[in-house]
Amino acid sequence: MTTHLPTDPRTENLLRISIIWRGLFTLLSAAGAIFLWTGTLLPDSPLWQKIIITVTLVTASVFSGIGAVQISRRNHSGRMISLVVDYLAFVICVVAALTIGEVFIGIDALAETFTSGLPYLGIVALGYFLGVLDEYFPQKQQNSETSLKVASRWVMLGGFALFLLQVGAINGILYFLGKLAQPAGIVSVTGVVIFGLSLWTMGRAATAQALHVKTNHEQILNGWLFLSPNLLGFLIFFAGPLVLSFYFSFTDSDAFNTPSWVGFANYAKILNVRFALLTSPDQLARDVVNIKVYDEVGRFIFGNRGILFAAADKFFWLALRNTLTFVLFAVPLSVIPALILSNVLNSKLPGMKFYRAIYFMPSIAAVVGISLVWQWLYNATVGYINYFITLGIDFWNNLFNLAIVDPKIQWVSDEKTALLAVVLIAAWQTMGFNTVLFLAGLQNIPGELYEAATVDGAGAWDKFWSITLPMLAPTTFYVVSTTTIQAMQVFEQVFILMNPAEGPNNSTITLVLYLYRSGFQNFQQGYASAIAWVLFIVIFGLTLIQFQRQRKSSIYES
Amino acid sequence: MKIQSYRFLQFLNKFITYFVLTFFALVMIFPFAYMLTTSFKIPADTFRYPPRMLPRNPETVVVDGYDEPLPLYFVDVDGTQKEYALAKSNIKVGTYAPADNLTATVERYLTEVKPTGGATNQQKVTVNGEEVKLFDVEVDGQVIPMILVSQTTVGEFIDPKNPENKIFQNVRLSTPVETLGGHPENYVEVIELNNMARALTNTALVTILVVLGQLVTSVVGGYAFARLKFPGRDTVFVFYLGTIMIPFVMLIVPLYQLMVLIGWTDRLAALIIPWIFTAYGTFLMRQHFITFPKEIEEAALLDGASRLQILTQILIPASVPALATQATFTFLYAWNSFIWPLVIINVGNEKNHVLTLALNVLRGRASDTPNLILAGAAIAIIPPLIVFILGQRFFVESVASSGVKG
Repeated sequence: MTTHLPTDPRTENLLRISIIWRGLFTLLSAAGAIFLWTGTLLPDSPLWQKIIITVTLVTASVFSGIGAVQISRRNHSGRMISLVVDYLAFVICVVAALTIGEVFIGIDALAETFTSGLPYLGIVALGYFLGVLDEYFPQKQQNSETSLKVASRWVMLGGFALFLLQVGAINGILYFLGKLAQPAGIVSVTGVVIFGLSLWTMGRAATAQALHVKTNHEQILNGWLFLSPNLLGFLIFFAGPLVLSFYFSFTDSDAFNTPSWVGFANYAKILNVRFALLTSPDQLARDVVNIKVYDEVGRFIFGNRGILFAAADKFFWLALRNTLTFVLFAVPLSVIPALILSNVLNSKLPGMKFYRAIYFMPSIAAVVGISLVWQWLYNATVGYINYFITLGIDFWNNLFNLAIVDPKIQWVSDEKTALLAVVLIAAWQTMGFNTVLFLAGLQNIPGELYEAATVDGAGAWDKFWSITLPMLAPTTFYVVSTTTIQAMQVFEQVFILMNPAEGPNNSTITLVLYLYRSGFQNFQQGYASAIAWVLFIVIFGLTLIQFQRQRKSSIYES
Repeated sequence: MKIQSYRFLQFLNKFITYFVLTFFALVMIFPFAYMLTTSFKIPADTFRYPPRMLPRNPETVVVDGYDEPLPLYFVDVDGTQKEYALAKSNIKVGTYAPADNLTATVERYLTEVKPTGGATNQQKVTVNGEEVKLFDVEVDGQVIPMILVSQTTVGEFIDPKNPENKIFQNVRLSTPVETLGGHPENYVEVIELNNMARALTNTALVTILVVLGQLVTSVVGGYAFARLKFPGRDTVFVFYLGTIMIPFVMLIVPLYQLMVLIGWTDRLAALIIPWIFTAYGTFLMRQHFITFPKEIEEAALLDGASRLQILTQILIPASVPALATQATFTFLYAWNSFIWPLVIINVGNEKNHVLTLALNVLRGRASDTPNLILAGAAIAIIPPLIVFILGQRFFVESVASSGVKG
């Protein structure tokens, strides 16, 4: 045992109160869990909510009890448990109070008045610039604050206060307090106060000393505390939904009624396909498959015979076909030109940063806006793309005295070119981004390698082939895999460019579009979840293949 | 001789480099330029073929005796090109010819010509086996029955200085007199048509809150991962890393149901709160903080500073470039996001639309006025471009480094 430092009477009293509070908390949570099942508390909540609340309450109760015992033994773990339990309860109460006070929903109201407050944010910016100005004109006195700094702070504060006033902060606070005045609000505010006090009691340095807390214990608490905002949000808005998504994929969830378990039925429907032998190329599908169940997706013809591919859900397979076709074209089209451009950009000539910035521009613009622009560029009669094609063909015809016919491509309404139109937009938008990535990779290749190769008499092409490409392999892997993952999720371009989004004869239906249609237009959310998981498996598989290839090539290197 | 050819090769090399780079730069810039210039055009100008880049205004002129200013056109008067005003359009002109000599045609206004034998009992003649109506056409003071061979519409063009000078010709085949000039009022019109002002406010508000919230959570979390030792840290970190690869569309269904459960559908809160906790941002901040020298921190700890003080007073001021980079990333992501707002905000609830949603509505609402659609697109695209230009020093460099590390 370490030596006991004398504890002051105030801390002794606070510790006693803490033990009583922990005991009370234990009893209250246990009682809450019991009353939940007797129907006194929250009688209308569905079963799963009851289960979650019960588990939470029982866990809190058990840990609180252990905490009480440990505090009475003057063990530091009592403090830790107490802090964690109270912190979580505190967060729950704060969130409850904010929800009851309609703060989250109130953001909508803020949007209404936000514009009128913008001039005052300008004042805040002015104050900030005053502060910046101070750094450019340093004054003599080093330690005391300069007048500019003080002025800057007051201008910023004043501007912000005026902004709050203008956007109706006072009304908002009054409304908030009014909402909190109802029973549930009072309960949550009381919770905030009690848990806050308890946190303060345990957080005091004197309490920590009385419970023999060491620095590494402090660090553990600090670590979890600092991580907690992120971790809690991440669990609620990412990890939890991810698990739910997996669960939904085994149900017939429709977003309104209680979902019921259907096992693998969703996946079975997606994967329910038939191949049938065709005796002639234009044999009807109903001769070879049961068309009550299966729809023809496509046929592969070999001479006089062929194979018919039919599926229970033909839209999924069309979407998969289109998505993979899109990836197959969009990825090389946005990676190979980027590789070439980056090599050109890597020269030491002036102006390269300017070009780099220009190439980057498309990737920062909203895909929705960009697709609208391209929609008019693609216009078959007055669009620039067909105009350029016409100019090019006329030039060619005049030059060589040919008679090539102007195709006048109906870019978005022809099923042969609709997907290509989407590919071109995506390639245009990601090419510059990839160029910057490649350029960074190129600038990391040591110059000595090239010098040595020059001494050995290697030409530019040899250097590119045997130095640049192998040395760039990790960057290439990164670029190709991120571009592929992005391309697999193609949605916005298709949704905006095509009308309807499936395109002519379903030629641009993609997996994410089909997921959206199933989940949010037909409200088959269980089925949509299953599509999401299949999409994930395809993406994961493609990335894994690329990773394997990259590892192989790097083995050759070493 | 040899040196000269070497110099020439070098020049050629430079020339090709700049040629290739400029060509691609034009390809990259062209859609933006098209968007901007078209957004200043009048609708008729956007449907012109061949297309023209710069917006133009049709010229008008005030002529005595006409209330409205009249549009000016180029007309051919006695071999010279002159600017005449279009006084009257849609004047119907018929080409008439005698039934026995179809090549001897004369042109008359339809209103000047009366049916032969009166309107109720019009005489007819058989030409090439078909019965054709006859009309009384006056030629040199003589009335001759003729048949209508063809019919066109012309406009009446007058000399603005001397309205007595008239000329008739087809309006569509005449070239209007135009001057370069834009119509900035397209932007006002699109803002009024589609509630774009509110959408802009919403987008700005959502973006600001997401950027601030994400910076706070990822700075604090990144610091915990980088600098604080606690059991479970590395497990959580590996877990975070594993989820970076998971595409967002995986979450769209359950997250939607979560929003239904807590009553945030159709609310801006649904566009903000779920987005302020990110594994990727936390990971980036951790990578940044881990490069920071430990000694400064240890010295501050010895002086009795708390972890929060160290973070806010030492680490954050020294991390402005990293924070600016992440803020820019988040800004672009939040500003441009589409599928989540599309799912969560109802089409009818225009009060809570963000810009991408407003554009989606505008696409249908203004489908015959590309100038308005592209003005809307410009409103959505220009703010990120400004942010990019301001922050590109940080931004491009950091994208580059993320690729090298990844």
